[in-house]
Amino acid sequence: MQPLGLYRPGSSVLHRAGAGVKLISLFVLALAASVPPPSIWLLGGLSVLVVTLYLLAGLGFRELARQILMIRWLILLVTVTGLLFLPLDVALANVTRMTLVIVLAGLVTLTTRTSALLDAFEVALSPLRFAGINPQRISLVLALSIRTVPVIAGFAQQLRDAQRSRGGRVSIRAFVVPLLVLSLRHSDDLADALIARGAD
Amino acid sequence: MSTREIVLNGVSVDYGNRLALENVSTRLDAHRIAVIGANGSGKSTFARLLNGLEAPTSGSLSVHGLDPVRQGKQLRRHVGFVFTNPDAQIVMPTVAEDVAFSLRGRGLSKSEIAGRVASVLAQNGLGDHADAPAHTLSGGQKQLLALCSVLVGEPDLLVADEPTTLLDAANTRRIADLFSALEQQIVLVTHNLRLAERCDIALRFDGGRLVEQGDPVDVVGRYEREFA
Repeated sequence: MQPLGLYRPGSSVLHRAGAGVKLISLFVLALAASVPPPSIWLLGGLSVLVVTLYLLAGLGFRELARQILMIRWLILLVTVTGLLFLPLDVALANVTRMTLVIVLAGLVTLTTRTSALLDAFEVALSPLRFAGINPQRISLVLALSIRTVPVIAGFAQQLRDAQRSRGGRVSIRAFVVPLLVLSLRHSDDLADALIARGAD
Repeated sequence: MSTREIVLNGVSVDYGNRLALENVSTRLDAHRIAVIGANGSGKSTFARLLNGLEAPTSGSLSVHGLDPVRQGKQLRRHVGFVFTNPDAQIVMPTVAEDVAFSLRGRGLSKSEIAGRVASVLAQNGLGDHADAPAHTLSGGQKQLLALCSVLVGEPDLLVADEPTTLLDAANTRRIADLFSALEQQIVLVTHNLRLAERCDIALRFDGGRLVEQGDPVDVVGRYEREFA
């Protein structure tokens, strides 16, 4: 499992660019894709830009295809609902916009270490210190959320294996309750680990 | 740190429905200290006291001259703790980032942090995995990562609570060799009696009481004979 397009090491221009620059660029490009009226030239141009950036980052078509494949169900859902309620060109433009923004966001996480992203978030959130909010804590919560996804997925896999090995029928209750128990126990252990590592 | 001594005076830990530790008194300055005993005997509670993860209900303790209750934050910079399950200890998504997390807030520059992280990973055989997502590591590698994340902070005391329980023989040996080579004082809570015998002193807990303290081979031998 490779969740949330985690960082792929590299030395491309995109890898070397600052996390803040990449996040601001993502924001600007997302606005450019979303705000103006849909135009084939704009969306076509942005699509060419996305492909170029993936190639520039050394990730290639294969990674781009993998990113799109990961969100295939979302693309299908948005396309179907769009076709039901909107004209064809608007529905296609919406799904293209959404895909472009998600794939661009994926490019940022693929070329930026999580720690660099968190540092950038900390800088961006630093004005909130005046409101008594600690940006370090917010960035730690984000890091823990990313880290916890594969751990919980591992618990779910263990429980599915345990159910199969006992030959039982698939039961939602027999899956959700132990998953919650394991997750809560993990959060207790994690809290201890954070204290032990001086994060209190 | 002024001393390398762990001192407990009449320490008890009461969970309300269970007395986890009962009137434990000892003075420890050995390099490698093994802690053995059955499940629920109080070993882990003893270990957790040393890092301020538990507070005594009565009695007092000092770890390298510091009070874990009142000076917990200061103490934790000098006392590293390795848990049984490394998955619960790894808090950042990738290997190098997790090790670097231990150095946050210590006033080090980014290049200093990167240097120390690279050095500790290389020393412990994880140099090639620096950018790997932590969840893709094997169980042994995860435990090594957890150890690296503690060692990078250069603690004076390393407390390890059953660090080899989830490991195979090869990884257990690797961790044991690593412990043997460390200069830091080590408190090793373990069910692995061969590992305990490699220490300088052994403590044996039973029902929350410290029932024996002495030469590891003698303490382990008597413990094993009880179940023979």
